[in-house]
Amino acid sequence: MTHLHIKDLQAGYGKKLILNNINLEVRQGEMIALLGPSGCGKTTLLNALCGFIPLSHGEILSDKRVISQLPAEQRNITMVFQSYALWPHMTVEQNVAYGLKVKKVKRADIETRVAELLNVVKLAGLEAEKVTALSGGQRQRVALARALAIRPDVLVLDEPLSNLDAKVRLSVRHEIKALQKKLGFTSLIVTHDQEEALVMADRIAVLNKGQIEQIGTPEEIYHHPSTAFVADFMGADNHIVWPIQDPGFSLNINLPPDDLSIYFRSENVSISLQATINNELNQQQNEGLIINGTVEQSVFFGNSYRISVRSGKHIIQAEHYKHLPGKTPVTLHILPEALHIYAADVKSSVLEKN
Amino acid sequence: MIATQKQYYFSGISIYSVRFSFWLQSLFILLLALAMFGPIVNLLIWTVTESWYFPNSLPSQWGVKYWLQVFNPYSDVSGSLLTSLLIAILTVVVCLLVSVPAGYALSKNSMPFRVFWMLLFLIPQAFPNLTVYMNIARLFYDFGLNGTLLGVVLVHSVHGLMFSIWISVAAFSSTDPMLERASRNLGAGPIYTFFHIVLPQAAPGLVASCIFVFLESLDEFTGTFFVGSPNINTLPLLLYTASMEGNYQIASITALILLAPSILFMVIIHKFMKPEMLSKLGK
Repeated sequence: MTHLHIKDLQAGYGKKLILNNINLEVRQGEMIALLGPSGCGKTTLLNALCGFIPLSHGEILSDKRVISQLPAEQRNITMVFQSYALWPHMTVEQNVAYGLKVKKVKRADIETRVAELLNVVKLAGLEAEKVTALSGGQRQRVALARALAIRPDVLVLDEPLSNLDAKVRLSVRHEIKALQKKLGFTSLIVTHDQEEALVMADRIAVLNKGQIEQIGTPEEIYHHPSTAFVADFMGADNHIVWPIQDPGFSLNINLPPDDLSIYFRSENVSISLQATINNELNQQQNEGLIINGTVEQSVFFGNSYRISVRSGKHIIQAEHYKHLPGKTPVTLHILPEALHIYAADVKSSVLEKN
Repeated sequence: MIATQKQYYFSGISIYSVRFSFWLQSLFILLLALAMFGPIVNLLIWTVTESWYFPNSLPSQWGVKYWLQVFNPYSDVSGSLLTSLLIAILTVVVCLLVSVPAGYALSKNSMPFRVFWMLLFLIPQAFPNLTVYMNIARLFYDFGLNGTLLGVVLVHSVHGLMFSIWISVAAFSSTDPMLERASRNLGAGPIYTFFHIVLPQAAPGLVASCIFVFLESLDEFTGTFFVGSPNINTLPLLLYTASMEGNYQIASITALILLAPSILFMVIIHKFMKPEMLSKLGK
């Protein structure tokens, strides 16, 4: 298996540039998730890797071999397509064997390899089935077996789970991850689902508008988002722009006096019912962001209640273990390490929730 | 009260108009049926007639004498039936050879002047048939193609290419480009991909286009008349001469022979024409 290196990649459709200045290294046996909203260029990056669209700048190295100028069939990077792209006029077995047949592998060897792969993806016994007769999850696994059959240098998966229903998605997610651990293939997976990326990937690259915003382990991306976009995309659902001229808000950290954009997650907001104990809190508890407000709404979320708290014209989302009636005065406290603070620009202040 | 009166008034009108439109509709359908099936019934009667003179409304003598005459292996009809079939099959081959590569190329949006090429194949149909075929005949005369099988096949192909190109463009357009990508992705070159992935996907549409070309060629008259006669005698030409000579029995039986493949193939086409392909027609 292989080490993939993307250098200064630039690509697009026609004159429209979609990807700009992409630098990414996928280490041997590593699974990297390309995460981003729709239209950020993640699928375009896969297409560029596989040779379906030309690069306008930069190069791609697969184990020091420059592959960016090669036609698609010579790159040995296989793809699991979002629509699976299985050939409807072939059986499961013929679909999986196709790549080997193209390579003129001996018939007996093809048979053993196909049987082995169908075993791995738990489709043994369905060899003679037409792919059109299979369920979504089964088709997904045929696509996976087909892509793995020719022992690719790199496997790329384009939103492989987006066409599956929620329950199947969870199981296939773990199956793919387990398979990747077991066979140790180098792979890239495209997704717009942050949870999927966190669970499956060794590292995550967050894309925004054709550029990589941050690359890091799931923990790094989750706890230390390097830009406001990453924080927002990784589920920091509260956003305020500091300073706020409102007596309900107080921020006790050493900060530069500039305008700041502050993000934090609802799960990191602790709620206390005494509304006026600010002054009595000890020093340690006093650090971070403190907000006084009243409960606006309380919604049951299974393992917790989601509480909307109004303070002035801001609404802050918090999680709490029990239901709180409306108009209850509360104090919210967010610890400094849970606050993601960025220099405010015009764009992010537009996002302000009020 | 006023409201009820109004209702009565309106319902009276509507019953009256329903009755009126019922008779009107019946009359219309009757006339339509007569217009559609009248000639066919007349034709069917002629095929089993041995003698039928004015002013009798039905034949005076019935029989299958002319059927035996037609299916005599040495008759004109058997000979021209074979010629017709041979020409139709060759025309299908020529059209396929052109329209498979052309249809594939034209189905790609990246093809330059795509609309121009598509329209090019429609142009011969835009002019009156006679003008086109007379000029073709004049041209073919210079090449010594008049009165030859090849000449007739070429003339039929000009006509057939319109169907075969437009239908095969639609057939290739309706194939999923991702299937092609998946094949290239697994190491297959463009030619291998074309024959193993693209062609099987487009096959139903191509079969349909072949059937259209075959039927068109079988029924073609004008072009054959100008380019082929008198050496090449196809069924429509025979039909023409037979009716000119007043030999309605032979003409009717020939027409029936020509009708049979049309009906048979229409049923087959119905099966092969996929809605997703039809939606790509002319796109």
